[in-house]
Amino acid sequence: MSEPTTDRTEAEASAEPDFLKVSGLHAGYGQARVLQGLDFSVARGEVCAILGPNGAGKTTTLRALSGMVRGRGSVTLNGTELLGRSPEQAARLGVAHVPEGRGTFNDLTVEENLRIGAHLRTGPRWRGRPERAAVAADLERIYDYFPKLRQRSRQAAGSLSGGEQQMLAIGRALMLRPSLLLLDEPSLGLAPLVTRELFEIVRAVNEEERTTVVVVEQNAQLALDIAHRAHVLEAGRLVLSGPAQQIREDGQVAEVYLGVSVRSRKAG
Amino acid sequence: MSAVTDLLQQVVEGLGSGAVYASLALALVLIHRFTGIVNFAQGELAMLSTYVAWQLVASGMPFWLALPVTLAVSFAGGMLVERIVIRPVQGAPELTVVIVTVGLFIFVNALAGLIWSFTVKDFPQPFPDGGLDLAGVRVDWSTLGIIGVVAVVMGVLYLLFQHTSIGLVMRAVACNPASARLSGIWVGRVLMLGWGLAATVGAVSGVLVAPVLFLEPNMMGGVLIYAFAAATLGGFDSPVGAVVGGLFVGVAETLTGAYVGVIGADLKVGVPLVIILAVLLVRPQGLFGRAAVERA
Repeated sequence: MSEPTTDRTEAEASAEPDFLKVSGLHAGYGQARVLQGLDFSVARGEVCAILGPNGAGKTTTLRALSGMVRGRGSVTLNGTELLGRSPEQAARLGVAHVPEGRGTFNDLTVEENLRIGAHLRTGPRWRGRPERAAVAADLERIYDYFPKLRQRSRQAAGSLSGGEQQMLAIGRALMLRPSLLLLDEPSLGLAPLVTRELFEIVRAVNEEERTTVVVVEQNAQLALDIAHRAHVLEAGRLVLSGPAQQIREDGQVAEVYLGVSVRSRKAG
Repeated sequence: MSAVTDLLQQVVEGLGSGAVYASLALALVLIHRFTGIVNFAQGELAMLSTYVAWQLVASGMPFWLALPVTLAVSFAGGMLVERIVIRPVQGAPELTVVIVTVGLFIFVNALAGLIWSFTVKDFPQPFPDGGLDLAGVRVDWSTLGIIGVVAVVMGVLYLLFQHTSIGLVMRAVACNPASARLSGIWVGRVLMLGWGLAATVGAVSGVLVAPVLFLEPNMMGGVLIYAFAAATLGGFDSPVGAVVGGLFVGVAETLTGAYVGVIGADLKVGVPLVIILAVLLVRPQGLFGRAAVERA
């Protein structure tokens, strides 16, 4: 099967096509079964968008990956099984989850939030801090991505605007130096301009750090702009998968499943 | 003695007992910050710690050696309580958790009675007799000692929370446990640490107050009510508020006892209850707390 080329280069991304491999994933809350057997893979360095209407199971998918909800089936990251692990263990395997509603530490300053993100890399003082210099460098790197955070480094996270808090949440996740970054509805409650800026930064991070990203979004157009591949989820099942550009251009199909227009912008 | 020195004298006495309330209130606030739980058994745990100190001193250990040993035992005990008693009901409805801490209250009280009996024990006074005379106001070494010890405890806590990485981790857990977990922090262990710390701070209040009240299993009952008033006044989430609240409650108690004839020494126990009621009516979030705003 020959895939159409996308505006994001797939060649370098597909070196390890099964970096994240989800097979037969079932998950839910108590009696409520939300995910009814998902199968998909994300290549190393790829941005994967999961789209779909409210209640389709997008958030639950991310929660199952990071251990926040139990799942059945199999999820492997670089060959290591993730299911059955706690969020603490998943973080140790390089999974950084930015939950819906941002999940910043509002009483802590911006810089303290970022330091907490690097908690696993520094550890307690008595164990020595081999990565201390690297963490300091990463802090600068995050501030370069998000200059607004540098200006507000001493401010309490709770006093930031919604967009800044979302940036902080992503920055904190990056301080872990994750091999898999999970973003849940980063656009939620943000002004369109701020959302666009945020997605551009996510794209830049993905390109510069080669971080594998799974992003869950209601705003299909934005997510498809930065994604290599996309999956459309409906009632706990994948109903559509493919390269982002193909889904973007297949406006009619997307409209049916997403209930939103993802009309492609005419290229050239 | 002039009216002014008399007033100052009462204030000094009030600060002395207020410092004790402050340290137990601090323990209550620590637990509440970390777990959202109001620990009704906090005073009883402090009482148990005081018995440990008494036992050590009674078996010949010098007080100032027995104290750190007691604090270490209390720390371990607090961690154990979290792991065994509280962890299983973590996430249960609020009322369930409250009942569990009340149950713990009764259990610890009975346990102390079982081991050491309910007869009153003389607890050694760690500070020398006598004191200072400041322009007619007499400040006992014991009063000064109590205030000093509580100040040291506060200072240590401040350094721990604001200037160490474990303190930062603890604040993160208190603020947002779900995100802490996603950052790879073992939240359960941090909560154990928090309970251990609270038990240690509570133990300080028990050991300080025991020479005044005499040691018996019900010793901390009254102190707990004052500590509740202090924590409520300070806003249940603020360590600074707990200390300010404790000192205020102590002074208010002494002053009303001394100057309001109808209340006198017998009715001054009502003072903390009046304070609790007034705070809840006028400013439920307390002086240093923040009003909780929840989206419907």
